[in-house]
Formats: sequence, structure tokens, C-alpha cells
Amino acid sequence: MKRSRGEKIFNVFNIILMAIFLVVLCVPVLIILRKSFDISNQGIMNLSLLPGEFSLVYYKVVLNDKGIYRPFLNSAYITIVGTALSVLINSMGAYSLSKKDLPGNRYFMYMIIFCMMFSGGLVPSYLLIKNLGLINSLWSLILPGAASGMNIILLRNYYNSIPPSLTESAKIDGAEEYTIFFKIIFPLSAPIVSTIALFSGIAYWNTFFSAILYINDPKKYPFTVKLQEMIIKQQAMQEQLERYGGAANLSNNLDDQGVYSAIIVISTIPIILVYPLLQKHFTKGIMLGSIKG
Amino acid sequence: MQKKHGIYHIFHVKLFKITCYYFKCEVIVFERKKIHRGESIMNIKNATAISNPKKVKKKKLFTKNNIILYIMFLPVLISYIIFHIVPMPGIYLAFADFRVMGFKDIWVGLDNFKYIFNLSNFWDSFWNTWVFVLYNYIFAFPAPILLALLLNELKGKYFKKTIQTISCLPHFLSWVVIASIWISILSPSTGYVNFVIKALGGEPIYFLSKADLFPALLTFIRIWKDVGYNAIVYLAALSSIDQELYEAAHIDGAGRFKQTIYVTLPGIKSTILVLFVLSFSGILNLFDPVYVFQNPMIASTAETLDTYIYKQGVVQARYSMATAVGLFKSVISFVFVILTNVLSKYFTEDRETILW
Repeated sequence: MKRSRGEKIFNVFNIILMAIFLVVLCVPVLIILRKSFDISNQGIMNLSLLPGEFSLVYYKVVLNDKGIYRPFLNSAYITIVGTALSVLINSMGAYSLSKKDLPGNRYFMYMIIFCMMFSGGLVPSYLLIKNLGLINSLWSLILPGAASGMNIILLRNYYNSIPPSLTESAKIDGAEEYTIFFKIIFPLSAPIVSTIALFSGIAYWNTFFSAILYINDPKKYPFTVKLQEMIIKQQAMQEQLERYGGAANLSNNLDDQGVYSAIIVISTIPIILVYPLLQKHFTKGIMLGSIKG
Repeated sequence: MQKKHGIYHIFHVKLFKITCYYFKCEVIVFERKKIHRGESIMNIKNATAISNPKKVKKKKLFTKNNIILYIMFLPVLISYIIFHIVPMPGIYLAFADFRVMGFKDIWVGLDNFKYIFNLSNFWDSFWNTWVFVLYNYIFAFPAPILLALLLNELKGKYFKKTIQTISCLPHFLSWVVIASIWISILSPSTGYVNFVIKALGGEPIYFLSKADLFPALLTFIRIWKDVGYNAIVYLAALSSIDQELYEAAHIDGAGRFKQTIYVTLPGIKSTILVLFVLSFSGILNLFDPVYVFQNPMIASTAETLDTYIYKQGVVQARYSMATAVGLFKSVISFVFVILTNVLSKYFTEDRETILW
């Protein structure tokens, strides 16, 4: 197609706009990266994105301070146990629901859809966790979200699309349902299971709301709550600087910011690692929202 | 029966059976027709029972297979009962005065609601929530559409792919991480943005202490976080538009801009509507993004219903009052879910998108 002058101008404009967009996307992240490596305090005061004086000191601080690396272990524990549990529970439950001749199966489905639309609200759930004695236990972050209606519906739809002829021969040979499920259906549903595992893994890694609700003990904090604590400290410091202009505090503050940036970088590493895998499943992940119950 | 009848007898019996069967079939057909006409006398179940005795067997509840299936469903069932069904009756707290364990709660009817409706900070958080919702629909909703349209016009394949890859990443970061990144960048003394402002000769601005600025700032950060991820759906919709339509439009003399208006936008109209309608479902859920940015200086605008419920209910342990606020919020959300349904029925022929 021939292009008019207006179109050419638009193309240039578009490329520039997208480049600006790319800069706006990247710069914040690059600045944090720089702060986590830079120990020269003056380095903050210029526009360069490269560290003035490269060092891994802040990372060492993070890895040596028990109070700081502990939250990461907690988050890892929640993520691994939670993801494994939720994949297992949801896929087994969805398999039962996909059996159309199972009596009562419709009512289970109604229950799930009903619970997706209505909930008791924040305070009743909080009181429940309190009465169960799960306050300050990492299980309070794992268990309530383990069975998810969305995932069950998604898995069930996938199981329904598997042709029954695949399992019939096994049935004739006398295989029980659990053998059929674990030996045939589960391996066949790898694409959907991996999607769900990735998305629920990220949700567990990013747990924040339930953590501030249920966890008060600093030893049990996931990294998100620890970061939030540091943000509050940071902002209080900021306010002080704003009010009293204390230059003496500034270098102290910058060191804090270095540690804080290192924590941010470490916390994103797991996500960056699974990101290439995730990208394959983006569209499916989005369709999670649009499939009806 | 006597043996001497022999073959005849067998023949007769068979004939009888065949006739009977035929007759029954007729009856069934007759009955079914009647049922079809809506004047059933005999139960259809009886009719089938006569014709095919094997089908009468009732579905057994506890065959070995079913028990295994039930056991497989058990973890989900238990978890739903404990974490979803059990807390539901807790809504009664909104109508009661909560007492410590062991004491009976006192039923107070609508007193809790009367109390919260007289609180000014409740109404503040209520209207603040709506400000966020409004900003969200004005700016954050169209942003991914615009991004998808612009990306679609890009010619360089790798450039496009790079932008897509990078712009999706922030979506998967926790709000706390996002907040710490932005707080560090917007800091007045050490932040990058203010450094640029200073370098250009301006006064440093402490963005996160300006209450009036906060809704706009948060909306910007929300766009920064989610725009790439939300654009994926639109990009998928754009790629499914028939290329011949563009050629036809080009032959008719439409430029790129007119092609966008008359071909591209109608092509993704249904996707936009579906996502618009679906976005109503969690319209008032605003906890993480607001809570992580909160500081005392912007308390007047950075308080939504969700953070208010958390503070009243969990931090200050005013359970009844927080449940009442929560119930009030759910009622509004519920109205929106119904509205969603009505709208989706009105807008789309695609029945898939209707919730019930």
C-alpha cells in the first residue's frame, strides 16, 4: 500500500510515542536496580542509570540479616506448599465435577458459584481464622485460597473436552477412578494445570492482604509485609527530611534505600524466572476471567 | 403350559411377546405425543419402565466409583464449607452488638447502620472510593485499548514484541513492590523524578503528600502496572479482524485514521463491551493499591471503603460496625453485578458472557 505523507508522520509519531512509553515502563525498574548496586551516595544525584560505584554490599546485608531474609523463606514456603496443594485439590475436585453422572454434582457446582458471588465479608472471615487458631500461622495464608472456584471451573471445562474414549479402555481393564485420574487425565491436562499453577503461584508469592490481616508476628511475615514495614519507615523518614531538612539523616536514609532496593530486586527474581513460562500462558490466564460458571 | 403344544406354543409365546412389545411401543409413542401436546396422563417414566426394564434401575449413590469420586471432591468441599459457608452467617454481626467470646451478642437491628451513616469519615471513604472508580473508568479503562491500537499500527515486529513483553511484567509484581518502587522514585530528596524537575529549574514536589494529587497519581500507577497485560485481549481481538476489510476500506479511499474508526473499532467493539461489563464485578474492591501508599498526609483522599473496613474491623476491633460497612459495600457491589447482567444481555448477542 502506498503511504501518504500524513501516514508517514503518524508512523514516526507512533514510534516516538511507543519509545517514550518504553522509557516510562523501564526507568523506574532500572533506577531501583541502580540503587541496589550503588554505594556512592552522590550517585543518586545524577541522571545516569549506571551505578557510580558498583558493589554487592546491600545484597550481603539482606542475606546476612535474619530479620530480612526470613520473610523470603516464609514467602517461598507459602508459595510452594500453597501451589502444590491448590493444584492437587482443585484438579481432583474438578475431575469429580466433570463426571456428569455423579449424583449431587450439580449442587456442588451451585455451591461453588454461589460462593464466588457472595461472601461473609472481611470481619466474619477474620473471626473464623481467629477462632480456628490460625492467627500467626502460615497456614492462614495457604488454606483459605487453596480451593478456588475459577480454577475448578476452568479445569472442569478442560476435562470435559477430553474425549471419553481415552479413558474407556482403562475402565474396561478395571482401573479405578483415581488410577484413571492420576495416570491418564492429570498428565493429559498439563497445559491447563501449568497455567493454573503459575497463576496461583504468583498469587501466593504476592500475598499481602491476608498477611496483614492474619500475621502479627514478625518472624512469620512474608516479604510483602516486611517491605510494607520498610515503606512506612521510609515515608516517615521522608517526612522528617521534608520538615526539618536534616542533611545528616540523608546518607543514613540512602543506605536504607539501598537495602530496600535490594529487597525489591530479590523479591522480583522468582517472577522474572517464571516469566518466560508465564508468557506462553498469558492469554489463557486472561480467559480465566471471561469463562462463565 | 403343556408340553404337547411344542413348537406352536413357543411360536405363540413369541408372537405374544412381539405383539405386546409393539403395543407398548405404541403406547409410549402415544404418551410421548400427548406429553408433547402437554396433556400427559401417564407418567413418562412409567412408560419407559415398561418398555425397558433395565433403565428402571435407580442411579446408585454409593457405588465404588462414586465413593472414590466423592473422596476426591472432599478436600474442596471441606475447604469451601469452612472458609466460605461458615463465615457467611457472620453477616448477622452487622445487626448485632458484638461481645467477646462466651457472651451472647445483642441484636440491635439497624442501629449499626444508623451509627455509620452519621460518621463523616465513613462518607469520606465512600466518596473517595467513587473518585478512584471514576478516574479508573475515564483513564485506566481506555488506556489498554489505545495501547493496542498503537501497537497494532507499529511496523517493526521486534519493537512491538519487546514493548509487549516488558509492559506485561509489572502486572505480576505485588502492589507492595510497585509502591516501594514508586515511593522511592517520587521521593522529594532522593527521587529521580524530582531530580529531573530540579535539573529543569523547578521546585521539587513531594507527590505523595499532596492529597488532591493522589487519585490521579494512583490511577497513573495503576495504568503503568496493568496496561500491557490488559492490552493482550485487545491485541488478540485486533488480530482476528479480517484483513480484507482493510483492503476494501483502502480501495474505497479510507486513510489509516478512517480505517481505524470504521474498521478496527467496530471490529473490537464487542470485546470492549464485554470487558467493560465484566469490570463492574469488582468495582469497589480497592485495598492493596490504596493501602500500600497510605501515609498520614494524604489520609483525606487515600482511604477507601476496603481500607476503612480493615482499620475499623481488624485494627480497632469494632467488628459489628465494620461488618455493617462491609454489608453496605456488598449491597452496592451486588447492584452492580445485576447491572452487569442487564447490560450484557442488552449489549451482546454472545450468551457466553451472561452470568446467569
